[in-house]
Amino acid sequence: MIDKKKRTVFKVGAITANFIADSIAAHSRKTNIGAHDIFLGQVRSDLIEDKFVMAIEYSAYQEMAEQKFYEIREAAFAKYNLVCLHIYHSLGIVKVGEICLFVFVSSTHRKDAFDACQEIVEQVKLQVPIWGKEIFEDESSVWKENK
Amino acid sequence: MKINIIVFGQLYDMTKVAQFTINEVDNTEQLTQKIMERFPLLSEFKFSMAVNKKIVHGNTILNNEDIVALLPAFSGG
Repeated sequence: MIDKKKRTVFKVGAITANFIADSIAAHSRKTNIGAHDIFLGQVRSDLIEDKFVMAIEYSAYQEMAEQKFYEIREAAFAKYNLVCLHIYHSLGIVKVGEICLFVFVSSTHRKDAFDACQEIVEQVKLQVPIWGKEIFEDESSVWKENK
Repeated sequence: MKINIIVFGQLYDMTKVAQFTINEVDNTEQLTQKIMERFPLLSEFKFSMAVNKKIVHGNTILNNEDIVALLPAFSGG
């Protein structure tokens, strides 16, 4: 059975290592899976005009973002042979070194998981109305630009 | 005819309001003109527009109570 239920993608604050571990563990009963590919986006301490980034505050147009995430999921299931797919993105403050994006793709064989995971991450960055504000030590901030 | 506008990201730093309404416009070109009259600082920014959660390209007809979102470049992930 293909698992493609619609879920809420957003999590307030960082995505914890425990949450990721529990997500992996929850798949052990899906015995048709032969490969998982996981992407984790981590908040980086960029140096911008002599100041280090300490955190990113994420905001989103949530209704449109949830719809876009759903479309990205549907497109991935249509194009690749996937067993399941989970996407989580942070909202609010995520500190440097913490995880803000978790994409978890599972398939029968590795190639579908590898290819789909890469494409999904690119589509999330391109299509989903989410904005990051980089916050410095002195509490000043600058809007993040994706490269 | 009333259009509801919602503002995100750095555009909000310019408008200082998260939402407002604009009346008596038929399409996104007229709407953009009225928005710029009200918030001249926005003309310095590149942004896209979503009408009822769908990104529109070029001039688009608007209907009463449409929700138009002003979206600066995305920076998720």
